[in-house]
Amino acid sequence: MSYALQTLWHERARYASGVLAVTFSAVLIALQCGLMLGLFKITSIPIDNTTADIWVGSTAVPSVDLGKPIPMSYLSRVQGTPGVTSVEPYIANFANFTRASGGTELCFLLAGQIDHGSAGAAVPLSREQLDALTLPNSIIVDESDLKRLGLDGGEGKAKINGKDVKLVGTVKGLKSLAAPWVFCSLHTARHLLGFLLPPDHVTYLLARCESPARAKEVVAELKERHAGDMGAYTAEEFSTGSRLYWLLRTKAGIAIGYAALLGLVVGSVITAQTLYSATAANAKEFAILLALGIPRWRISLMVLMQSFWVGIVGIVLSYPACLALKAAARQVGADVDLRWEVLAGTAVVTVGMALVSGLFALRSVRQIEPMTLLR
Amino acid sequence: MRWAGSSSTPSLKGVKLVRTFGDGTTRRAALQVVDIDLFPGQLALLMGPSGSGKSTLLAVLSGLLQPDSGQVLADDDGTLRDVWALTDKEREQYRRKHAGFIFQGYNLFPALTARQQLEIVLKWGEGAGPAAAKTRADEMLDKLGLAKNRHKKPAQLSGGEKQRVAIGRALVKNPSFMFADEPTSALDWENGQKVIELLRDAAHQRGASVLCVSHDHRLLPFVDVYYHLDDGRLERRALPSE
Ligand SMILES: Nc1ncnc2c1ncn2[C@@H]1O[C@H](COP(=O)(O)OP(=O)(O)OP(=O)(O)O)[C@@H](O)[C@H]1O
Ligand SMILES: [Mg+2]
Repeated sequence: MSYALQTLWHERARYASGVLAVTFSAVLIALQCGLMLGLFKITSIPIDNTTADIWVGSTAVPSVDLGKPIPMSYLSRVQGTPGVTSVEPYIANFANFTRASGGTELCFLLAGQIDHGSAGAAVPLSREQLDALTLPNSIIVDESDLKRLGLDGGEGKAKINGKDVKLVGTVKGLKSLAAPWVFCSLHTARHLLGFLLPPDHVTYLLARCESPARAKEVVAELKERHAGDMGAYTAEEFSTGSRLYWLLRTKAGIAIGYAALLGLVVGSVITAQTLYSATAANAKEFAILLALGIPRWRISLMVLMQSFWVGIVGIVLSYPACLALKAAARQVGADVDLRWEVLAGTAVVTVGMALVSGLFALRSVRQIEPMTLLR
Repeated sequence: MRWAGSSSTPSLKGVKLVRTFGDGTTRRAALQVVDIDLFPGQLALLMGPSGSGKSTLLAVLSGLLQPDSGQVLADDDGTLRDVWALTDKEREQYRRKHAGFIFQGYNLFPALTARQQLEIVLKWGEGAGPAAAKTRADEMLDKLGLAKNRHKKPAQLSGGEKQRVAIGRALVKNPSFMFADEPTSALDWENGQKVIELLRDAAHQRGASVLCVSHDHRLLPFVDVYYHLDDGRLERRALPSE
């Protein structure tokens, strides 16, 4: 065991505040990022809840809700690409929802083929619900949006773009951020959108491939061949892209940045203070080493090693804390996405913070003077 | 067994050393033209009233405190070098190679075992490998009668044992000079006696030049030379046995 780590353990009461400061910063950063990522998962729900490998749409679509209509004729372009096993149309468009009791909301229509097992059928919809959607002007929404759409009582009737619709079922877990998702058939969507969607146009073409690896190649091929008028995206990149777009667009990234910065500043001040006083407490021992001709940088290195270990121990302690808080957040319905990139990024940033604190604490090493040992 | 080379040529010479503190009305000469010769294999005792400049002289001779004027000539592998004409880096290297220190406080790292206190000097000072450092540290602890205390931390050691570990830390690199400032004043006489005997062994058996500052007259029978410092003036005095 290194002298630095041994000192840390022996004087754990002294180092505890520094370690806890690191833990605090790490938890704050990880949870902030995780919460935001979890929250912005909502923006990619249409992609994450369908089973297509490839999304084809207009050029440079930043987010799934911003696709412009494309001609149906593109279908043959996609179908003709080797490795593609099926292609089907998909409509995704904003519409005006009018409650039975009056008042309007913006909603977002999601319409794919409603045969069971087709790429565009939202996964949470049961076979019966898909069958129900074949009835003209029937819709399905998420439970959590019922109240907002005035569908919680009565017969489930409302208007979309001035046309009558009827609720035929609800799903769970497809919450919306701004405009509620409204699931319906392609036929219903066309009817509701009317002239908003030009004839023989759709918003996306959803394709399935022989394998995910092949999907990447197909996307690359389509992009290259039709760069001018058509965009192609793997489901994965389209999903991440949609989340990132809204994360940046809403400046939520800045909120994360500030919270993380605050955590880092508080953490590093406390850690630096802890290391500074711990080093000062050992000043006489270090002074002996200086008198014996041991170079000062050796002692600085020891202090930096201590700051490194403070960082590592702090990170290790923060992990269970993050998991516990994630579970607690789930209880209140918030999703914290602690993917490995978040955890690794947090670890790197906070250990870096601890090392920077160590650099500040080096001031106390510079003050060590062997002369103080003489009396 | 008496070290053969004792009293031949000095290994450390202080020449016309002057050191003052403060300036203006607070100006005070801690050392006023001090000459001193220290020989290998010799234990020298430096006594004198409080504030007479003993610690100042020890610091100047050991390369820790720069004199206002005068020279400190030290034997560095056969040649006499002026310690205060060296660069800071060279002086640090000189101390690393040749100087051992003991102080009134033991100044041991609370977190480290007795063995580690010694190892750290070898590893960080000479770049000794772990195995060599361990062997040499254990040998030194054995010689100091601390074989059973290798794995103990300072909190588990008595005052006398702690001071012996501190002596081990100073001696483990086998220095040619040993500087001790009041090494016995925090100890009872039994332990103080052990410490001065160990310092004498360092001189007589290892051939080190040992300078020990103290105000305890009971140490006199153990030493080879006796200097008295009063108000910055040094005088060699006869030992009771002489
Ligand atoms: N850093 C300093 N600044 C100012 N004056 C100092 C300093 N160090 C020592 N002095 C003065 O120099 C004189 C000699 O001090 P020194 O510490 O050498 O005495 P000493 O003989 O070791 O005394 P003691 O037996 O009490 O340890 C004293 O008058 C002291 O006040
Ligand atoms: Mg003194």
